[in-house]
Amino acid sequence: MGVLQQGLSAFTRKHGLGVACFIGLSVFVWVVFLIVLPQLSMLDFSFRYNLPRAEVGGPADVYTLDNYAYFFQGNDGTFNALDIGILVKTMVAAVIVTVIDIAICYPIAFILAHSATGVAARLMVIGLIVPFWVNEILRAFAFRVLFGATGLVNSIGLSAGFWDVPIDFIRADVALYSGLVYAYILLMIFPIFNAVEALDRNQIEAARDMGASWWRVHWRVVLPIAKPGIVSGATMVFMLTAGALAAPQILGGPSNLWFTQLIYQWFNESANWQRGSAYAVVLLVVCISFVMMLMRVFKVSIGEIGR
Amino acid sequence: MNRQTGGGPLAVGYALLFFAFLFGPLIIMVITAFNSSSFPRVTPWECFTTEWFGVLFGNGRLMNGLLNSVVIGIGVVLIAVPIGLAGALALSELGPKLRAALYTVLITPILVPGVVLGISTIVFWGALGRSVGAGYDSMFFNGMFLTLIGQVTFIAAYAMLVFIARLQRFDPTLTEAALDLGATPGQAFVKILLPFLAPAIGSAAFLTLLASFENYNTTVFTIMADSTFTTALASKVRLGTDPSLSALAVIIIGITLIGAIVNEAWTRRAEALRSGCAARSAVYGNPALAVIVHPATVLVLLLGLVGYLAWSGTQHDAGVCKQQILDEKLARQEQLLEEQRQRIRDQKAAEEATGTVTKPASPSAFGGAFNGLAPSPAAPATPATPKAPSAFGGAFNNLAPKTD
Repeated sequence: MGVLQQGLSAFTRKHGLGVACFIGLSVFVWVVFLIVLPQLSMLDFSFRYNLPRAEVGGPADVYTLDNYAYFFQGNDGTFNALDIGILVKTMVAAVIVTVIDIAICYPIAFILAHSATGVAARLMVIGLIVPFWVNEILRAFAFRVLFGATGLVNSIGLSAGFWDVPIDFIRADVALYSGLVYAYILLMIFPIFNAVEALDRNQIEAARDMGASWWRVHWRVVLPIAKPGIVSGATMVFMLTAGALAAPQILGGPSNLWFTQLIYQWFNESANWQRGSAYAVVLLVVCISFVMMLMRVFKVSIGEIGR
Repeated sequence: MNRQTGGGPLAVGYALLFFAFLFGPLIIMVITAFNSSSFPRVTPWECFTTEWFGVLFGNGRLMNGLLNSVVIGIGVVLIAVPIGLAGALALSELGPKLRAALYTVLITPILVPGVVLGISTIVFWGALGRSVGAGYDSMFFNGMFLTLIGQVTFIAAYAMLVFIARLQRFDPTLTEAALDLGATPGQAFVKILLPFLAPAIGSAAFLTLLASFENYNTTVFTIMADSTFTTALASKVRLGTDPSLSALAVIIIGITLIGAIVNEAWTRRAEALRSGCAARSAVYGNPALAVIVHPATVLVLLLGLVGYLAWSGTQHDAGVCKQQILDEKLARQEQLLEEQRQRIRDQKAAEEATGTVTKPASPSAFGGAFNGLAPSPAAPATPATPKAPSAFGGAFNNLAPKTD
């Protein structure tokens, strides 16, 4: 509390009482009412039974591990392979999408930072940003148009004779993966760009002069500098991919569920908010622990995310 | 491009490929908006049409959602930008340890899946509403209010990141100088810091509006029975697709391009003016050219172009072409039917030639149970007026001219 008081008085000295009050109050409301309390109440909610409205707060409204038990064991007390399988599959898919994004974006970020100049660089930046002003749903829709049974890819492939029957790209998840990779390109490029830009060009030239091949230059000189940017971008892409809902709903095959879709079903189709909350907590915990593990492995702190 | 840093044809080629991936899907979607085929596709091309724009504007749910989205978007900008500013200012003043902790807390809403934010918002406000005894029609269960709150939670963090980036370049001695010269702290804030942050406020407002408008993951939970533009769009895409969505994409991409071009004209002009070489530059030095590249002129010209295209679009009538396509389809079907009839006639002729021998020799293994279904050679082909099984499974029966 003393630290807070100190901070507040520092604000008052510097910006005046009105501004200090505004800052203090806004941050307080944001942290307490928008971030912390909602998360806690979701956690609380996930430990409760799904009761009719009249019984809420009554004697039957007690804490239970039922919702979590269901996630692990299903209805019959055995291993709930379906839901856990979906979670594992979502995580694996998110990792794959993240890796593809790193592979695609690293060269572009490097070109943007060190090779492109003047008009080319400006055009590239605009070209990167403009597609992401288009609605996320419409971007997913574009991939459906592209990869549908009568889509452009199929009609080109058929007429060129690459394959004889239309390939179901939606069922094969090609459309889903491309859509997800596309959706988060920007979040990967800019952190890597910011990191790589700090690299002194002379270092690259020095490495070249000493006879390093181009991949050695990247491996030994550029990549170490780019690492914080890559981890920052990868964290965001991974979290957003694992938490994506629109793209799997639109591009996912009929038999292919994303874990967020499971949560959505508990809420909107089964009207069991408590179990949905428990599943959301599971998703959150798994995602965050995975990212924390990643950060520990690559020795990057959360303070560097979002730079 | 320079060789030492890995430039060269490889880099150019890769960049081109990359941007093809970025723009290809959008371009194809734009093209499908003008194809009269009722499923969005490029091939086979049927007719150039502008009717999908009409279908789009006739969609009541989307238009209603658009209105909701605008209201929510404005609300989010008005709340999230000040909160983000407060967060950035707080971070700029705190000591390193507290700063790291607060930063972690404030940045988490960006990383937490949007689904989780939406759920936690409705659960928390619902519980709060129940504890004060509010009914289901109170604001605690109002989709618009909950969406506003849920979106502010993480969009304020976007605004905060914009302000942090700008504040890093602020020279605190400016504020100190103002204080030394006798300004009150409040005056120094309003006259020094706020004007310095003005560009960041503009970009934060734009970013928050866009983020609010686009958001799906959080909104789909918090909006309850209402719908925003994006959720209405998503349910339309999930239920079935028609090119009116492509028409929507054309409109959004058009707005985006105009915005990008005008913004570019504006920043270039501002840069030229600031660097002081405006008078010397070939473009900004020439009065006529300077007027033409002025952002306002660019905007007016582009809007005029769009207006003209829209007007000529409404004049376009694809009816003739569509009738032609329909006729072609009918003719093709007629031809197929004719071929089928011919085949049946040939078959019958062949049967009559050899039939007397084979018929008794091959009693159906199914005891004739499937005779009515399959045109097997064993079944006596009775139809004199061939009621030909349509190749389209009867889907076009009401279209096709009667065969008898």
